[in-house]
Amino acid sequence: MSLAAEAFVSQIAGCRGPERTISRIKQSAEPWPENATLYQPLREDQILLSDCASSLAVQAYLRMCNLPVHVSCRSNAEYMSPSGKVPFVHVGNQVVSELGPIVQFTKAKGHSLSDGLDDVQRAEMKAYMELVNNMLLTAELYIQWCDDTTATEISRPRYSSPYSWPLNQILAYQKQWEVRRKMNAIGWAGKSLEQVYEDVSQCCQALSQRLGTQPYFFNKQPTELDALVFGHLFTILTTRLTSDELGEKIKSYSNLLAFCRRIEQSYFEDSQAGSSSRGYSKGPSLF
Amino acid sequence: MGTVHARSMDPLPMHGRDMGVHPDDMIEVQEAEHETKQEVLENKDVVVQHVNIEGLGRTKEDLLGYEISEVFDAKNLIDVMKKSHIARQKLLRLGIFKEVEVVIDTSDGTVCAHKRADALPNGLDVTFEVTEMKRLTGSYNTMVGNNEGSMVLGVKLPNVFGRAEKLTFQFSYGTKETSYGLSFFKPQPGNFERNLTLNLYKVTGQFPWSSLKETDRGVSTELNFPLWRTNHTLKWEGVWRELGCLARSASFAVREESGHTLKSALSHTMSIDNRNSAIFPKKGALLRINQELAGYTGGDASFLKEDFELQVNRRLVWDSVLSASLWGGCLLPIGGRPSSIADRFYLGGPTSVRGFGMYSIGPQSEGDYLGGEAYWAGGLHLYTPLPFRPGRGGFGDLFRTHFFLNAGNLCNLNYGEGPRAHLQRLAECVRWSYGAGIVLRLGNIARLELNYCIPMGVQSGDRICDGVQFGAGIRFL
Repeated sequence: MSLAAEAFVSQIAGCRGPERTISRIKQSAEPWPENATLYQPLREDQILLSDCASSLAVQAYLRMCNLPVHVSCRSNAEYMSPSGKVPFVHVGNQVVSELGPIVQFTKAKGHSLSDGLDDVQRAEMKAYMELVNNMLLTAELYIQWCDDTTATEISRPRYSSPYSWPLNQILAYQKQWEVRRKMNAIGWAGKSLEQVYEDVSQCCQALSQRLGTQPYFFNKQPTELDALVFGHLFTILTTRLTSDELGEKIKSYSNLLAFCRRIEQSYFEDSQAGSSSRGYSKGPSLF
Repeated sequence: MGTVHARSMDPLPMHGRDMGVHPDDMIEVQEAEHETKQEVLENKDVVVQHVNIEGLGRTKEDLLGYEISEVFDAKNLIDVMKKSHIARQKLLRLGIFKEVEVVIDTSDGTVCAHKRADALPNGLDVTFEVTEMKRLTGSYNTMVGNNEGSMVLGVKLPNVFGRAEKLTFQFSYGTKETSYGLSFFKPQPGNFERNLTLNLYKVTGQFPWSSLKETDRGVSTELNFPLWRTNHTLKWEGVWRELGCLARSASFAVREESGHTLKSALSHTMSIDNRNSAIFPKKGALLRINQELAGYTGGDASFLKEDFELQVNRRLVWDSVLSASLWGGCLLPIGGRPSSIADRFYLGGPTSVRGFGMYSIGPQSEGDYLGGEAYWAGGLHLYTPLPFRPGRGGFGDLFRTHFFLNAGNLCNLNYGEGPRAHLQRLAECVRWSYGAGIVLRLGNIARLELNYCIPMGVQSGDRICDGVQFGAGIRFL
């Protein structure tokens, strides 16, 4: 429980006062409110692939748990978040960001998708989630910020769109340097685009093998792993980048395609589902 | 009247010296140097033939011509002394000389080395002997404050290009924050009060009353000029502001303001100040009106901001002074975007409405004060010397007791309504307080106060500080 709990505690921005611990315990016993809100960057002009994927994963998870949440787009969502990453949810008077801590938070409120799993399966689920985070998410960040074409044509203009000159240039370059430094630190800086696509392909192969012919990763019921995989794969499929290679890698695994379609139809059918990729601008219109 | 041998004057103090210099005071019975002839000048008419400045290094002479030109107009010896004194003060206020000494001599050269051909019998030569400041001065301080220590490094280059330009750089490195500022000051030769300042800075501030942390990186240019009796300042400022939550427990309203904004604003300030002192004025009034327009020269923030400050002082019996002051302001967002927490007004604390916590009046959310778009505040003070006047003439003069009555209000206006509704909103829920305390003057800029306050009209959400309150600052209501 330790690492996840620490991450959970550091993500939470709780209520004030010395009675913080006591009221946090009380908070977790409170039911999920009607006005829970999820914050992400502006959908049309600002949000990037990686943030879109993370946001969709969280939305999918909350829908799977049957917890209602409004989606609110703010240009400063990244800076509002207590950890600096989007999306984050504002529930009652608590603010929680990123999928991992949100899962812990909902578990404390009594909603969980992975209760039916035994310890082995739970460990396996965690391992696959780590795989998606380390491979898919990092590949998305690499393609957005380390590939010069994408960075110049798509990422920097979108990231800086809410700001005026010269602040937009400063913030865009600052973000790019930050991501490139991170890539250096984890050893991805030396990789070429081809190698990154290869890594994505291998990751999809692993996921495809694990999924097999089942409807969800752990047989009948979806878990947070399904939400996470759906978030990333669906976003990649429906977002137009400078090249289509990333989408093609995924399309070569038909069971993953079917998986995405299944989740979209089961959980997002109330909005206009559209897998028509409408340029980079929106990604799917289901959110 | 005795004989006056005007060889040199002792450097006169800058302030507080009676301007009427009597020749009687300057009698110097010189030991008769056996061959010196002594001229008897008395009050007869003199002509100032030459005014020299000696000791110039990098200072350009054309700058100084304006400051000393009036000495030529003197008609008699007393006049020469007075005008020289004024010229000396003008030279010192340029900020480029460490010392200025005045030497008045007859121009027929009895004391100088040679006799000049054009010397008039009643001619005088005035010489200003100046010592320029060093090219580079540095300073190093350490400061310890609220849970933070910092090291402050200052570098000053006075008179960089020879015409009283000044370049200063200050760098502060602290355990929590780092800030720096670079400033270039250039006066107009001949008109020191007209000057231009360029600033480049990075400043960080923490505001625990709003759980807000702000980092400003900016550049500004400022033009000062006097116009008749008023002083005007025109300024353009471009600031990149970064706001963030100071603590994890900040309210969501403050969290929503986090992020980056760019403000590019033009502002104009007019001030008239005829008080006799900035800290304990005995008479006179101050009026300062400031307006700021942001958004028309770029940037995200777009608003029109007006604020004014008025202070009137009057001396009463027994050395006591009655002082009344009024502050007010309003912020009008333009273009539909809501105002930012960094632009709004704040009220309350030992420097404004006493008896309330620092900036802890007005709209708030979960204990974080968000500021308001319109405010007014007024104060009525009676300053008296300390009872029984201990330390009179010395240390005791730095203290005053004061009795005060403060009032104010801060709120957000709904700009759709008319001015009548605005005035009504500002007039309802007025917070006010009264009390007494002791004030200490620090130099000529700041003051410390220790007051006993009784706050009244407290609205729900305000944080009060009734009882003893301590305050230090530059600008007090």
